Amino acid sequence: MNMVAYLPMLEPLPGVEHWWMLLIIPLSFGIALIYKAARVPSLDQIWRATGVMTVQILLSMVAIAIGFLILVQVVVPLLPVD
Amino acid sequence: MSESAETASSTIRNPRAGLLAWLLPGLGHAMLGDRRRGMLAGGGVIGLFLLGILIGGIDVVDRREDGLWFVAQAGAGPIAWVADAANAALVANGRFGGMIEAPHPNPMAPPDAVVMVPAFKGVAHPNEMGTLFCAMAGLMNVFLVIDAMSRRPAGAAP
Repeated sequence: MNMVAYLPMLEPLPGVEHWWMLLIIPLSFGIALIYKAARVPSLDQIWRATGVMTVQILLSMVAIAIGFLILVQVVVPLLPVD
Repeated sequence: MSESAETASSTIRNPRAGLLAWLLPGLGHAMLGDRRRGMLAGGGVIGLFLLGILIGGIDVVDRREDGLWFVAQAGAGPIAWVADAANAALVANGRFGGMIEAPHPNPMAPPDAVVMVPAFKGVAHPNEMGTLFCAMAGLMNVFLVIDAMSRRPAGAAP
């Protein structure tokens, strides 16, 4: 990976195409932080609430992915062809 | 009382706080006396937006080419217009990196047809994820704007 000429913010981050799926973690964390910052009654609970919501989002995404995997790999091949 | 019922309702109490929340994410909550809440929420919006630009390059905010995405990104406030202007001034015109030939995007075009695109144009996953980060920042700031408009000022009697 050549990073000599890399200009942050002007061009895409080098190497993202190899680990782009992991970006769902900071995305989920950011969404959870913003939501909980507005919603928790006391900010003392915010980091715990944000962590819980981040995990909930990630587990939901994994569950949806498993659901689609079963649909595509198991259910669709069972459908009659014609 | 539930969380949502305690902090928000459908009543618009503070249109000015909503406007400030759009101008600078978190400022609406800070104006209502909840400075720490505003810093956390606003920091989250600005952090997501800047992370999107870091991932995909400034090209992820492009009002002309990705108009529908920009509708969502514009929820983050003037920062979206600044990013779009920076993209137009620095990258889209080839000032940084120059222009390169690329295959014509229209599949019906002749095989040897080419178009000129900026060398720093983002493509594939980095561009998609960067665009998504900025769009989510904008949509979450719309949520903050609505929350700031309907929230009672800190310390106010219910």
